[in-house]
Parts: sequence; C-alpha cells; structure tokens
Amino acid sequence: MSDLCTEIGYKSLNKFGEQLCGDMVEVIKQEPDSYVVVLADGLGSGVKANILSTLTSKIISTMVANGMRLEECVHTLADTLPVCDVRKIAYSTFTVIKITENQEAEIIQYDNPRVILLRDGKNFVYPEKEEIFDEKKIYKSKIALKKDDIFVMISDGAVHAGVGKSLNYGWERKNIIEYLEGIYKKELSAKGITNILLDECNGLYAGEPGDDTTVCTIRIRQRKPVNLLIGPPKNPEDDKALMNEFFAKPGKRIVCGGTTSKIVSKYLDKELVTEINYVNPEIPPTGSIEGVDLVTEGVITISKVLEYAKDFLADNVYYSTWTKSSDGASRISRLLFEEATDIDFYIGRAMNSAHQNPDLPINFNIKMQLIDELATCLTDMGKTIHLKYY
Amino acid sequence: MDINVCVGSSCHLKGSYKIINLMKEAIEKNQLSDKVNVSAAFCLGQCTTGVTVKIDDEIVCGVSEENFNEIFAEKVLKKV
Repeated sequence: MSDLCTEIGYKSLNKFGEQLCGDMVEVIKQEPDSYVVVLADGLGSGVKANILSTLTSKIISTMVANGMRLEECVHTLADTLPVCDVRKIAYSTFTVIKITENQEAEIIQYDNPRVILLRDGKNFVYPEKEEIFDEKKIYKSKIALKKDDIFVMISDGAVHAGVGKSLNYGWERKNIIEYLEGIYKKELSAKGITNILLDECNGLYAGEPGDDTTVCTIRIRQRKPVNLLIGPPKNPEDDKALMNEFFAKPGKRIVCGGTTSKIVSKYLDKELVTEINYVNPEIPPTGSIEGVDLVTEGVITISKVLEYAKDFLADNVYYSTWTKSSDGASRISRLLFEEATDIDFYIGRAMNSAHQNPDLPINFNIKMQLIDELATCLTDMGKTIHLKYY
Repeated sequence: MDINVCVGSSCHLKGSYKIINLMKEAIEKNQLSDKVNVSAAFCLGQCTTGVTVKIDDEIVCGVSEENFNEIFAEKVLKKV
C-alpha cells in the first residue's frame, strides 16, 4: 500500500426550479487503490439531461473501469444515447479521470470546461493530446501524481455562474483558478474545496443557478491514520491488552469518555487534566493527557460529532462551526472528517453506571448505535474504517 | 482548598456548566480566588445522583442551582 491516498468530494446545484440535475458524477473504486471518476453533463436540463448524463456516466465509468479502449466507449455511447427530439442529437459532455494506484492520473475530456490541476496550491498546466473520435474532439492527458495534487472537475454551470447577474460574462475558468489558488490550504479536504467553490457559484447566481452546476474535487494526499478509543473493555482484565494495542498503532490518538481516559492516564502514568472552561455549554469540556492528542467526554460529544458528520454529508450548514470551534466535538470532527484517511475505532463494551440512570437519555445501546452510524458516515466520506470491539 | 466539579456525561446533563459558573461567581464574590482552586474533573464515580463536586477529599453529590448557595456556605465558606 502506498503512503498516498485518493480523496474524492463532489456536489451539484440544480438549475433553479428543476427537480433533477442534468449533471452526474459517477465514482468507481477498483481495489485496492484505483478510481474511475466521471462527470457527465447532459444536453438541456431536467429529466432529459438527467437521463443523458446518467447513461453517459454509467456507461463510461463501467467501460473504463473494465479496461475498454476509449474509442469503444465513445462508439457505445453514440449508439446508446437516446436522440433528442428537438435537437436531433444525442449529447452529453464528459470528463473522465482515472487514478491508478495513487501514482498516475489519466484524463479524458470531451467538451466540459477543462479540469483544473493545482499542484502545491498553484495552477499546473498539464500536457494534453488532441484526438478525434466520431467527429468528437477529445483531449487526453497522462500525469504522474504528486502528493497534494488537487484535480477540480467542473460542469459549465460553474463557468457560467453570474452571467447577466453579478457578472456580465460569467466566471471564466481563469477566475475559478485564481479563486481556488486564493482559498487553497494544504489541509482543506476534497469535500471542503468542493463546498467552498460551489457556494461561491451559488452566490454569483444569487441563489438561483441558471444551469446545473457541479464541482468534483480529487485530492491526492498523504495517508493519515487516526485511532479513536471509546469506552472501557467489558472485562477489566483486558485493559492492559487494549492499551498495548491502542498505543502501538501509528497516527493520532483520540480518547473519549471519563472512565476510559482514567484507564489511559493510569496506563501511561501521566496526569489527566480536565479543562474547566466550556467553549460550548452543550458540549462537556475536553481534557488532556501527555501522549494523547485529544481527550474528551464520551457519548454526548460523539453524538454531536455524528450530528456534524450527517450534516457534512448533506446540507453542510455546520461546516463553519466545527472547522473553527475548539470544543471537543468540533476537534474530533476536524481530526476525523478532514485530517484522517484511515480511522481505527477501539470500542470498549463495558456498561457504564453513568448511563444506567433511567432519567438520562443515554444508554449502552445508544452508544453502540452512535458509533455504527458515525462509521457509516465516515465510510461515505471516503475514509477507510476499522471497528474493533473489546 | 481544591474544588473539582464533575463534567462527565451524567453530571454534564444535570447541569455542570451552570454549577461551574455559580462556583466561579461565588468564589469571586467572596474574594477567595487565592485560597480556592476550582477545576473540572471527568467522572467522579457518583453518577446517579446529579452534579457531583469534590471539595478537598469530600464528595458532595446532587448539587443543583437550588441548593448551591447552601452547600457553598456549608462546605466552602465555613472550612476555607
């Protein structure tokens, strides 16, 4: 396994008033570490565009993933796509990026705005080879990947953002490049970049996009393992074995739960210091133990992290809260959602007397359920997750 | 004097935040800042009875906004 990994984040805005999006992103993962990502933009908008782009992205991603030649893919597409009654053509633009083992990117572009590559935060002009298939002009590139490379695929809705509203001629590709260079920070996730750029487009459209607008970001990054320990083991005799395993792993360490942090403090023979200041009255203060990156309370903090995780995958309204605040839940969120690529959960199954009080809205089952749901959300964010129970 | 207010899950839900603020105010009002050290603690192991406060070696359970002044007078002011 290489020490690099691929992180993908994408999102679309529908044309104002449309129920369906005419842009489609399709990601196929090929084990162990390769990806085919397709962004297709169907002609027109609404149902017709949606069908065209769905077919296009599915057909191309499946064929490329199976090693078929590009010519065959284009022929198949031309033969398969339904012809538009109004325009007498079958048409969907597409961009394909194939990432192989985190080492090489192959890009195939047909009529979408050109893929932007940021290398070390600056626009990188990559070589392109022009080819004609079926009267279609296609650009092909092969790029050897470097750590922190960022590919941004956009549909033409992004380039047109603001036409006739805040900007006369829309937002050109070069303006988008300048914008991306401006917001670039090494630690920004693929999803983070996607959201920031798409929000900007939405702003230029004054909240009423004139076209389906899609951003898909692919980020090549260093693998970052994070280990999270929550709950004491069911059998107290297993404390030592669990600690040995938890502290043997590379990467950052998060310890959740009062009793759990006491076990850690005892094992490391380092004092557990608890913060007294509440950053957010809803979330218990954090603690610290030398040798551990973050110490927090357990179930209340994790339930907040889950709330942030679900929101991050959906409406993303809390993004500016958890990326900035220093309460325990926000700090865990940053470590898990942004920094980590591989997350190992060490879950102790001891019953906690604190949670057995019928007056309290927390219990053992809720804790297990929270962790399961959080693991699912993190998998959806593209993280590699392992759960271990003790 | 060392005072630890529990901020574990259970106590947190029963109002640790308010008790910590009341404690800080009371200590300032009585000008005890140089005699009393207030800090937080994760679970003090008395979870089922409300906010737990450890005053030196004594554990006081079930502290609430209602009984705070009484407990503060009894356990802190008298002893400090």
